[in-house]
Amino acid sequence: MRRTLAALALATFAAGARADAGAAAADGPRATAAYVDELLVRARIMGLAEDPAWLRLGRWRRKPTGWVSEVDGLRFFRSFRGKTDPLAELASTLRGFFEPDRGDEDVHVQCRFPARLQFLTERLGIDPARLPRPACPKLALFRDQTAARAVTLVFSAYYLNNPVSSFGHTFLRLDKAEEARPGKGAELLDSGIDYGAKPDTLNPILYAVKGLLGFFPGQFNRMAYYYKVRTYADAESRDLWEYDLAMTPDEVRLLVSHLWELGQTYFDYWYLDENCSYHVLGAIEAAVPRVTLLDHVGAVVIPADTVKALFLNPGFVRAVHYRPSIRVQFDARAGGLDAREARLVERLYADGSTPFPDDLPPDRRAAVLDAAVDLVDLRHFRDLAVDAAPQAARTRHLLLARRAELRVQSPELQIPIPEERRPDLGHGSLRAGAGAVESTRGGAFAELSFRFALHDLADPPDGYPLLSGIEFLQTRLRLRLSDGQPFVDELWVLRITSLNDFGRFDLRPSWRLRVGAAAVNDAGCDGCLVPKAEAGTGFAKTLGPLDLYAGADAGIDARAGLSGIDGKGIRFGIGPGGLARLRLGRLAILLADARWQWLPGAAPGETFELRGTLRVPLGRRVALSLEALRAPTVREGSLVLQAFY
Amino acid sequence: MRTLKILLALALVLAATGASAQSKKPAAGSKYGTAGCGLGSLAFGNQPGGIQIIAATLNGTGIQTFGITTGTSNCEPGLLAQGTKNFVDANREVLAKDAARGEGEAVGALAVINQCKDLKGVGAALQRDYGTIFPSEKATNEEVTVQLLKTLHSDPSLGCGQG
Repeated sequence: MRRTLAALALATFAAGARADAGAAAADGPRATAAYVDELLVRARIMGLAEDPAWLRLGRWRRKPTGWVSEVDGLRFFRSFRGKTDPLAELASTLRGFFEPDRGDEDVHVQCRFPARLQFLTERLGIDPARLPRPACPKLALFRDQTAARAVTLVFSAYYLNNPVSSFGHTFLRLDKAEEARPGKGAELLDSGIDYGAKPDTLNPILYAVKGLLGFFPGQFNRMAYYYKVRTYADAESRDLWEYDLAMTPDEVRLLVSHLWELGQTYFDYWYLDENCSYHVLGAIEAAVPRVTLLDHVGAVVIPADTVKALFLNPGFVRAVHYRPSIRVQFDARAGGLDAREARLVERLYADGSTPFPDDLPPDRRAAVLDAAVDLVDLRHFRDLAVDAAPQAARTRHLLLARRAELRVQSPELQIPIPEERRPDLGHGSLRAGAGAVESTRGGAFAELSFRFALHDLADPPDGYPLLSGIEFLQTRLRLRLSDGQPFVDELWVLRITSLNDFGRFDLRPSWRLRVGAAAVNDAGCDGCLVPKAEAGTGFAKTLGPLDLYAGADAGIDARAGLSGIDGKGIRFGIGPGGLARLRLGRLAILLADARWQWLPGAAPGETFELRGTLRVPLGRRVALSLEALRAPTVREGSLVLQAFY
Repeated sequence: MRTLKILLALALVLAATGASAQSKKPAAGSKYGTAGCGLGSLAFGNQPGGIQIIAATLNGTGIQTFGITTGTSNCEPGLLAQGTKNFVDANREVLAKDAARGEGEAVGALAVINQCKDLKGVGAALQRDYGTIFPSEKATNEEVTVQLLKTLHSDPSLGCGQG
């Protein structure tokens, strides 16, 4: 009897022990399903599917119809409802984590969605011992190669030679070290991450239209940071501003994981709102739930605004670094040369074998050669890169060989950081104004103005290129006070002024253009709003606080009722134009713009326009603008209060 | 918003066709890698006219090799010999300049890739051997890489890694 009892007891214990071991070591499918259900209940109770952190990971935004994710690639969602149902996606992802590992590389849900795994594990307290552990070799390689310890957001400066790259560009750098390393050499080997469109057409018109209307897919890319430096600083001569972000190691890890998730999918690329800067910011925001970034950018996302958004989160920007473009580097070198040495640079650029004067010491020869090579690069970098400038390549080689022979090590180039050009210090991209006008045509008017973006030459210059203006949708509406009649005084769709300080080493012309509609101020159709397109070119010079431009403009006006060529409603104008701007520190800007145009075949046969503007900033967001206009049929003065945001 | 986008598309096209760049003939036998990883990938300059401007503005790279999950690993900065080759492929011009000057960021990066200990020494050595490393502007990237590595390994005091 005792033996049977003992055997029974042993058997029971053994069976019990075996059951326990079974449950702990390898959950049967039923136990796993029960655990997942338990986790889902927990998620529901926590409202996790509507937690901002989860929503950011899936890029769900609230629309009138409910949640809709910005992600357009459907593989980003496990649930067939995932694009519009964050809870379904959460549930499907959670179940996917527990699916057995079938040994297919990187296909397991844990490998495809490591950021979601990190997030859900932490928030739901998932027991890691109960999760299968699939190998994710590609993901592991990505982590190894990026070896991210810190994150930097990089802004490449305004570039007006591409009409639309004039807004700048932002991308990320995954830093292998937490601080910028001395000499910065190692940063070149960090990973750059950017978001860009993948075009499928080479036709310029289709390209522009498709890019604006979301017909290209956009994807995240990774390349060594040196590609970025070569593209922007060297080939396009754009300064780079690097903003080091204060992120914890967990947040950095989450960002890398999230970039892996995003890397597998695409978004429709919309140039105006879901562009490079928008998605870069969105990726950061998903990894760092404690900051708010996308809420701070407007309907049209301008790269500089995304940089400003960083600063709206106190302490989020740890440090700012400046990487000068090749042009700035060259200007710094040229600035350190005397007149004779500067002439030598010009001659060496033309003929690399130009001999040195005997009395020029080696260190000065080195300085001259350094400047000469930078000049070759400044003018030919792109061509050199694709072997399209054999003459320049030969000159360059000769200059470098001579330089090396000197055996002098160049001193480090000291370039003062142009703090006032930092993009985050710029005035707001949107400008609105209200004021009063007194005119010889119609008396007194109230005026309302609005500009979508971005900056003109009379606006406070900080944070923007000193000699450029680009404007989208500058509109001026007036209300005649005597009878309440409304008028559109101007509606410029696009207005660009790109001045270039002409000098011995910079022979580039300046140009300007404006496209839109404006009031005619001559007898051709006095006071009519007429569609206009005008472009001009010339040369500009900066003398201290004074900027001067002189050139010629040509344009077309077209409108029924306009007294144009042979009485028809179209007229062509051409003639000299110029502008002068005086920058009185941060106190005020005085701008004068003059144009005279011959209108062949039209009546009247000529017209002119003289405008003066005095703009006085009153604090960071407001400015007072006094403007005057003199034209054949009208003289007016206005006082407008403008606000930037 | 829709109207705005169409308006701006039109304005862009006008501006782009107005400010279009000169067309360039594609370079025969570019000295940069054919794998698409070299600097040639930056050059929309092989496409004529306005497309150059617009392509760059939309910040499209159009290059498969840079996709996060699809990217090929031969573009990696990497370490030592292969890393040096990749670095030379993309930074040849700047590296030549810094080597001639005996200092600079590209030299620094090269030293990091090759795990060298004496940065200043590396700069001086590259300057000294400049003529051998860059014998002419027509030297290929492979040739430059071989000579570079020879210089780095010729002097043990530079402390560069092997491999």
